[in-house]
Amino acid sequence: MSSVMKTTRDVKGIGLSIVRPDAPDKVTGVVQYVADLSPRGLLHAKLLRSPYAHARILKIDVSKARALPGVRAVLTAADIPELKKKAPTRAHAVLAIDRVVFAGQPVAAVAADEPAIAEEALDLIDVQYEVLAVSADPLEAMKPGAPPVADAGTEADTSEAQAHGSVAGVATEAKPAKAVNISQQARLQRGDVAKALAESDVVIEKTYRVPMVHQGYLEPHAVLAQWDTAGNLTLWSSTQGSFNTRSEVADVLEISENRIKVIPMECGGGFGGKIRALCEPITAILARVTARPVRYVMTRREELEAGMPAPQVIIRLKTGVKRDGTLMAIEGEAILESGAFSGAVLAVSGVFLASLYRWPNFDVKGFEVLTHKPSIAAYRAPVAPQTIFAIDSHMEQIARAIGADPVEFRLRHLQREGDKMANGQPWLNNGAVEVLTRIAEHPLWMKRAEWKASSKGGKLRGTGLSLGGWLGGLQPTGATVRLNPDGTLQVLTGQVDIAGTNIALAQIAATAYGVDIDKVKITTGDTDVAPMTGLSAGSKTTYTVGVAVMQAAQNARNQTLEIAAKELEASVHDLEIDGGKVVVRGVPNKGITLAQIGKKGNLYMSKVEPVLGISHPAFSVQAPAFCAQLAKIEIDPDTGELTLHDFVVVQDVGKAINPLAIEGQMQGGAVQSLGMALTEALMYDDKARLTNPSLLDYRKLTSADVPKIETIIVEKPAPHGPFGARGVGEPPIVPAPAAIANAVEDATGVRLTELPLSPERIALAIANGK
Amino acid sequence: MAKHALSCTVNDEPVEVLVQPWDTLLDALRERMGLTGPKEGCGTGDCGACTVHFDGKPIASCLLLAMQARGHEVRTIEGLGKPGALHPLQEAFVKHGVPQCGFCIPGVLMAAAALLTENPRPTEEEIRYGIAGNLCRCTGYTKMLAAITEAAGATAGRRS
Repeated sequence: MSSVMKTTRDVKGIGLSIVRPDAPDKVTGVVQYVADLSPRGLLHAKLLRSPYAHARILKIDVSKARALPGVRAVLTAADIPELKKKAPTRAHAVLAIDRVVFAGQPVAAVAADEPAIAEEALDLIDVQYEVLAVSADPLEAMKPGAPPVADAGTEADTSEAQAHGSVAGVATEAKPAKAVNISQQARLQRGDVAKALAESDVVIEKTYRVPMVHQGYLEPHAVLAQWDTAGNLTLWSSTQGSFNTRSEVADVLEISENRIKVIPMECGGGFGGKIRALCEPITAILARVTARPVRYVMTRREELEAGMPAPQVIIRLKTGVKRDGTLMAIEGEAILESGAFSGAVLAVSGVFLASLYRWPNFDVKGFEVLTHKPSIAAYRAPVAPQTIFAIDSHMEQIARAIGADPVEFRLRHLQREGDKMANGQPWLNNGAVEVLTRIAEHPLWMKRAEWKASSKGGKLRGTGLSLGGWLGGLQPTGATVRLNPDGTLQVLTGQVDIAGTNIALAQIAATAYGVDIDKVKITTGDTDVAPMTGLSAGSKTTYTVGVAVMQAAQNARNQTLEIAAKELEASVHDLEIDGGKVVVRGVPNKGITLAQIGKKGNLYMSKVEPVLGISHPAFSVQAPAFCAQLAKIEIDPDTGELTLHDFVVVQDVGKAINPLAIEGQMQGGAVQSLGMALTEALMYDDKARLTNPSLLDYRKLTSADVPKIETIIVEKPAPHGPFGARGVGEPPIVPAPAAIANAVEDATGVRLTELPLSPERIALAIANGK
Repeated sequence: MAKHALSCTVNDEPVEVLVQPWDTLLDALRERMGLTGPKEGCGTGDCGACTVHFDGKPIASCLLLAMQARGHEVRTIEGLGKPGALHPLQEAFVKHGVPQCGFCIPGVLMAAAALLTENPRPTEEEIRYGIAGNLCRCTGYTKMLAAITEAAGATAGRRS
């Protein structure tokens, strides 16, 4: 695939900080999300959820709820013929049948005239439970004899890993007998680890823990469902991928995909949590039963208790190096707590642990473990922040132990393009070395000793950095570019624009065709009209859809030039598009306007074909993207309070199509990463019930908590990206936990290995001197 | 239960609507008056997405019963500025590329507008704390601070 596209002149397109066209609608409250839609006859849905993490349902009595005025439907599993006992995914488990497997699992559904009536109806439903023993801790859940989560015979769900397309070639192993809650298992091995560890001078073993965290999108899950009399379903959805939602809902409802139209509404944040279907199937069923439009909006409490958070990740690492810094071996175990259903991306962890750095011998095992908690989903660079927290913290400790410069030590051992990853695939072109080198040149890093030495008033000062990244996502996609009768361009994809990707795609179309951005309109179509388009996830929207748009625009340009060649009786090779006209190079007054060509494609009796550029590519080459982050901090050793004074993000974006939008991605990702580092944790009691189900107790960072985030963009072109661009969304969420932990050690001399790095943990670690 | 008649002023217009006794001000604005600019992000006053002005002060409209607004003045994002006639804060948010998903933006703007009314030339620290009740998950707040700082200069200049 050719990716280098030259236009005949500079157009207003690639590389400019152009404001996204929907910004005025977003600052005036005009833009509509699902919860803003109120069609005539609207009913409101509410779900009754289990208070227990594991229980048998003995009896459900809905008679009082059904009798409440204003209630239009009350459903239990017995009312839904499509329900299967062995639900392969969370989406298939529409309502619990005879057993609930996490606290917050829906057991009954109500549709009513008003939300308050639906809520009152929930109170009138009587469910008798027999409470069962729970698996609340993944390490306990792995042991033989632990209370089982899945029904026997349920297959592991690897579609999340496939959707992210991140790591190929990691073999999954047969699970050992009796460990009923181990749902996936993988192992990456090379060389003789035991021998290499025995020959090492410095052996370090640590266990790193990152709790379950929530993606934290501000707009809770929401869907509006309506059927027509012919049996066609329309879903207005807050989704990161309308075609994915359509497939999942069709599968659960057992209807054909062309009977479902998913209209992707403005998505109020997703970060991986709005890829898989969650409340769409039950809302569609309520709409079918009532023959009315039904809207379901999750409450924040439901989001926290029964959303699809990121897994808890526990990583044990044991490494050996020689006194001169030669890497000898790494042995590791990554345990991913997946909650009640399988679906974790296991392989990312193994590849980063075993082969971000050049370990000649490695043995890394990965386990996905089921527990009686809500099942997990992707969260921006799934499992990469947790994994980098472990491996980067570890590299820092090794460097300190042997007295090496931490940046030089990482650079010395970092895998380069062509080196083999642990799964046998070669590392592809990436900017890991460049971003790490660049951040080490930052004045804050150069002056870190002065900052540390300036500690006063009993406070401790320190600086830390970390390197992390993302292997890059792939998914087939499609786009069309049409020339309108007035000479403007119409770009159509099915891509949901959460992050500002549509403006980048429009810039690509403008540049590839040869017109200014103000002549381009981009539309996100619904599943009835848009070409098949992948998820807005995995840092692949600009990387893949950008190629589709670029090729479709090139295709439209070629068609335009061919039409012009005939009209002008000139060779296509002598033509160029300039100022809205196709002109013969060197003969500026010989030309035809794009509007004239566009009109000919829409004229009665015209023999000129309308210009319709099409591209629907599939991809095989990922573009890994790396990010380095630096934290300058101050700690009060008595209280453990950590003040973040400065934070720097250096990221390789390949080619900055829209620097303004990219800075926004880098800053937002960094603050999510800092939230994981400092404050965020879904906390469960020993009965696997969430103890902090509100945004007061689940602490996301506010504007008062973080400094302005400094961004430095590095451009190392991706060979197959559109104009050299690579994915931007995932990398900035990866490094902060390790950067902060490294800074804490610089300041205090203590090493923390469990997130979040709360004041209590920091103060206790200092008091205990470790 | 019978509905109540709520009379108040919303975005400078007198309004009279029927509300349920349990409706919050946010419910009344969104479901009874069609003003869907204020968002419900939590319903418990923790996220700030529902921020409106109540007699000129920023409040979480999800925490006030609708009938408590009787006789009071309410301003929502729809009454801050309109497409084509944006408030300086809205202009600055567009120019600085602040909105990503956009869900928190109406609340942040109302909090920032109230701050600038009370304190036309806030320091960065004062801006930081002025919008600390408004959670945003996309932007990392950096561009918000820059936009509010710029708008503060513009509005203060306009008044003087």
